[in-house]
Amino acid sequence: MIALLVAQNTFREVVRDRVLMGLVIGGLVLLAVTRIASPLAMGEGLRLTVDLGLSSISWLGLLVVLTVGTALVSKEIDRRTIFNLLSRPLPRPFYLFGKWLGLTVALATVAAILGSVLWLVVALLGHGHYAGSIAEAVYLATLELAVINSLAVMFSALSTPLLSALYTLGFFLGGQWCGDLRRLASHCPDGLKVMLESAANVLPNLPLFNMRTLAAAGELTSWTHLGLASAYAALYCACVLSLAAAAFESRDFK
Amino acid sequence: MPEPNTVKPPRSDRQPLAGERSIPGHARRGVDPAAGPAVSIRGLTKSYRHPWTQKVTRGLEPLTLDVHRGEVFGYLGPNGAGKTTTLKILTGLLKPTGGTAMILGEPIERVSSRARIGFLPEQPYFYDSLNGLEYLEFVARLSGMPGRDATRAARAWLAKVGLGERERQVLRKYSKGMLQRLGLAAAMVHEPELLILDEPMSGLDPFGRRDVRDLILEQRERGTTVLFSSHILPDVEALCDRVAILLEGKLERVATVGDLIDGTAPVVEVHVEGARVFEIPPRLAPVIERSDAGGSTALRLREPERLQELLGWLLSERIAVNSVTPVRPSLEQLFMAAAERSAFQAQSERRPA
Repeated sequence: MIALLVAQNTFREVVRDRVLMGLVIGGLVLLAVTRIASPLAMGEGLRLTVDLGLSSISWLGLLVVLTVGTALVSKEIDRRTIFNLLSRPLPRPFYLFGKWLGLTVALATVAAILGSVLWLVVALLGHGHYAGSIAEAVYLATLELAVINSLAVMFSALSTPLLSALYTLGFFLGGQWCGDLRRLASHCPDGLKVMLESAANVLPNLPLFNMRTLAAAGELTSWTHLGLASAYAALYCACVLSLAAAAFESRDFK
Repeated sequence: MPEPNTVKPPRSDRQPLAGERSIPGHARRGVDPAAGPAVSIRGLTKSYRHPWTQKVTRGLEPLTLDVHRGEVFGYLGPNGAGKTTTLKILTGLLKPTGGTAMILGEPIERVSSRARIGFLPEQPYFYDSLNGLEYLEFVARLSGMPGRDATRAARAWLAKVGLGERERQVLRKYSKGMLQRLGLAAAMVHEPELLILDEPMSGLDPFGRRDVRDLILEQRERGTTVLFSSHILPDVEALCDRVAILLEGKLERVATVGDLIDGTAPVVEVHVEGARVFEIPPRLAPVIERSDAGGSTALRLREPERLQELLGWLLSERIAVNSVTPVRPSLEQLFMAAAERSAFQAQSERRPA
């Protein structure tokens, strides 16, 4: 319950931040651009709109995580607003969870708004049946953002905003290539193989959350995929936030 | 080790403040001295290790201290003495290196020990995007108040600290004094049994200081224990039942303000007419401190029992005496003397034998 209070406050703070509003507007502009550019796609205008529209949700969400998420805790420490919270009966792990939850809900809200606008554009073009695939893709993109956000919150609790942003970006890029890393490991000698496989296990498996190509063709993914991705995201976030909480527990606030 | 003194009963002769409103649940709390101290500190230490050089710096030497229930306790010391370190350890913001501390009978390691305390950090900072009401509701609920009670208490406290008209104004538009008052309201909104205030008067104008003094007195009257650090010694002198003086991380003294003052050697000041050229006889010179200002001379006699001797000599020299005044040293003078004594001791310890 107490974590929900922190989440509510974080959500309110993020929503009132001009960065988020700017990014929503940026997303809408991007959608408009894809429609303007669609005649150049030689008959693939719809596919281009859906693909770019979904990509913009992921990339703009990543931008929010890198700008807001990586400063979420460190800003509170620098500005000492954290003194007013942690001097109350608020366990530190609940504080971190609340911060993560608040931003994740804000990201989900932005994704839902942009996804709805994308569906509206597609429906106006006479393809209302894309609703299911767009909804699934937006859901998976939100899970991906929740995973990246957990990393951002962890780094933010332990480091400066700039370093946190670099670490988070590193994990994001590494996570995009973790399938390639596994394939590379299978061709390497034993020592290096173990190292690369360990790295691939630690990095988030982000391709699991990417169904943009399927959605652009108006196809649905399986319930198994959705369930597996949800479970993986929940487990990954829980592990990262637990690590963050363990390190944050002994931190001094001078 | 300083022994805790007996508790003065909270003052009950105070009249209600002008414009004071009643706040839900804001009734006088009974103080039960048998319930044990509000704050009990035993051998508390704090050291910091430099991340690169690994050099250890002591922020707080083993500290043993009791703050009794219902008293106003002043925590004094110059910058870097360890006052804020102690208060932050008590509120869970810093982890102690050694020792133990209990708040209202609960060890400070337990998060629940913070449910019954209100804390005002030094120069408090707030969320710019929230308004006064949202902020107070938020912190009241964090301290365990249910939603409706939190809203009611937040409104009442905003009115009490003079921010009732600005409850919907975002905090980035508040002045420094307004933020300090909001910080005090945030510390008290959930009716804590123990208030821990770090420099509550800093940055306030004389009116703001008076308001804070009144709030502290009111809290004492309700039976709330108040532990506060301050540099503004006249305020400490006016408010505190007892004070602790902390110097370079070490507890120098704990006493009532009265005991501190009574325990010092009395001084008599003799003012004589005009800054006449005269020599103090060698037999009196070691106990007299002379200062000439304008048209008069002040002679501070450190041994009052030799007053007759001094007056006899002044008469024999035909020096006109204007006044003879016993001087009561202020808390500020005592504090400065303690600080100088500590610095002298530290210097002696460093000097090779």
